[in-house]
Amino acid sequence: MTSPDMVICRCEEVGLGKLLQTAAAHGCSARELKLRTRAGMGTCGGRSCRSLILAMLEESASQAPGHDMPLGCQPPVRPVSFSMLGGTE
Amino acid sequence: MTDVLIVGAGPAGLSAALACREQGLSVRVVDEFYRPGGRLLGQLHEEPDGQWWNGLEEAAKLHDKALQAGVDIRCGVSVYNVAKADGNWQAFTTEGVCEVPALLLATGASETAVPVPGWTLPGVMSIGAAQVMTNVQRVRPGERGVVIGINVLSVAIARELQLAGIHVDRMVLPALSPVTSSAGHPEKVMESMLRVAHLAPSPLIRLGSRLVQSLGLQKRGIRFYPSGGIRMWGIPFQLRTAALEIVGTGQVEGVRIARISPEGVPVPGSEKIIPADFVCIAGGLSPLAELAAVAGCAFAYLPSLGGHVPLHNERMQTSLPGLYVAGNITGIESAKVAIAQGTVAGLSIAADLGKLREPEPLRHAMERVCLVRQQAAIQFHPDIALGRERLHQMYEQAQAM
Ligand SMILES: Cc1cc2nc3c(=O)[nH]c(=O)nc-3n(C[C@H](O)[C@H](O)[C@H](O)COP(=O)(O)OP(=O)(O)OC[C@H]3O[C@@H](n4cnc5c(N)ncnc54)[C@H](O)[C@@H]3O)c2cc1C
Ligand code: FES
Repeated sequence: MTSPDMVICRCEEVGLGKLLQTAAAHGCSARELKLRTRAGMGTCGGRSCRSLILAMLEESASQAPGHDMPLGCQPPVRPVSFSMLGGTE
Repeated sequence: MTDVLIVGAGPAGLSAALACREQGLSVRVVDEFYRPGGRLLGQLHEEPDGQWWNGLEEAAKLHDKALQAGVDIRCGVSVYNVAKADGNWQAFTTEGVCEVPALLLATGASETAVPVPGWTLPGVMSIGAAQVMTNVQRVRPGERGVVIGINVLSVAIARELQLAGIHVDRMVLPALSPVTSSAGHPEKVMESMLRVAHLAPSPLIRLGSRLVQSLGLQKRGIRFYPSGGIRMWGIPFQLRTAALEIVGTGQVEGVRIARISPEGVPVPGSEKIIPADFVCIAGGLSPLAELAAVAGCAFAYLPSLGGHVPLHNERMQTSLPGLYVAGNITGIESAKVAIAQGTVAGLSIAADLGKLREPEPLRHAMERVCLVRQQAAIQFHPDIALGRERLHQMYEQAQAM
């Protein structure tokens, strides 16, 4: 019933099937799953898909989220131009 | 020089700004939206006493007061990073770096998506987006909508859409999948709706009591749930129907639905496609705490508060000196609670900067948060008070270490 093509990470276009397969093949933590598939590394910084990836791991691999903020948050938390980060035009 | 920078001009941020100004601090508020008010904008619901809560008006009132008090409010400005520097906090904004002794994060909540095959089609939006289009921008999201996901937020907003004359064809559950977990499980959805309904006087209580009346006990109830759903304000709530796919070429044209068992498994042969030109997906809310994470705050995972929240105490201090939180970043609650928390945060900051003229108002403000919480017309989770208690314990334990 679950569709493997269903997009979970919209920014990086990662489907449910790929995430489930990768999680099963490597027994991944959320962070490792992100590094292997790029899910959560897109322009939104994981704001849209973070909770979905966590729900998926909880459901499929019985990994309940811990107290630490999962999948880290890296600055910049909003898309910004290089010049804003201090570069020159 | 600015004493306090507040990220977020929602109810929490604006009320905190006012409290700071009243103690003589200089305050700047930044918000990335083009107008202040946060998620107050667009809220419209009936209070238990029959009065209407109009978020647009409440936002305008807070904004006016803040302006009159001399708060420097800047909209259309995002904060993309925060860091500690020489005892101060630096906020990196799209207008440059702002360095302050006290930084308050009042960034609110973000919506959780509900992935259903086809959810990337144009015409699919989060329920909050439909609320903003309808009540803030006054644009019709479409002619005939289906809401996928039944929870406190989607029920409240479906009602708002209907009040605006927008046709909501029905509310259904998302198909069971590894990402939707309990949102696709009729028994669990029913259980959580009933638990919240008992606590919230209005408008959910009416839905709740109708569910209870017509269904008796919940386990049995969901088994005999009418296939057409139960109507509330004329909108069918179909807890025994799931959206399997959103269909259309180039844009939403319909939703493929099926009857489901009490556990959420589709009944073979019951599939059909219903027409729709827009679909709202509603997976609930979680605290938007990315800046607190970047700053290096300690966190706690408490599902009753909506997920991961920065550890903080009743004075809204985080684990990091000079960094404060207020509003939905601390847990998902109604706007009135956010306003009350903002006042606490503002006074707390004034106290820490040695500007609080007398201690009484801070104590009163803290008591007020609990009172407002008890009387809230909308409760997002039945165990909020317990979650808060647990959080404060964790904070104390962490500080003692
Ligand atoms: C779609 C939706 C509908 C809701 N409906 C209701 C309802 O009907 N009734 C109810 O009681 N509650 C409702 N809520 C809950 C709502 O969150 C609270 O009522 C209240 O608005 C929370 O106030 P706040 O000040 O904490 O955050 P918000 O009101 O969310 O304000 C936060 C502000 O911070 C800004 N911001 C966030 N991050 C940044 C950044 N990095 N840089 C700059 N600015 C930033 C945002 O633009 C936003 O304006 C709803 C929430 C959502 C998301
Ligand atoms: S949706 Fe995954 S990073 Fe944006």
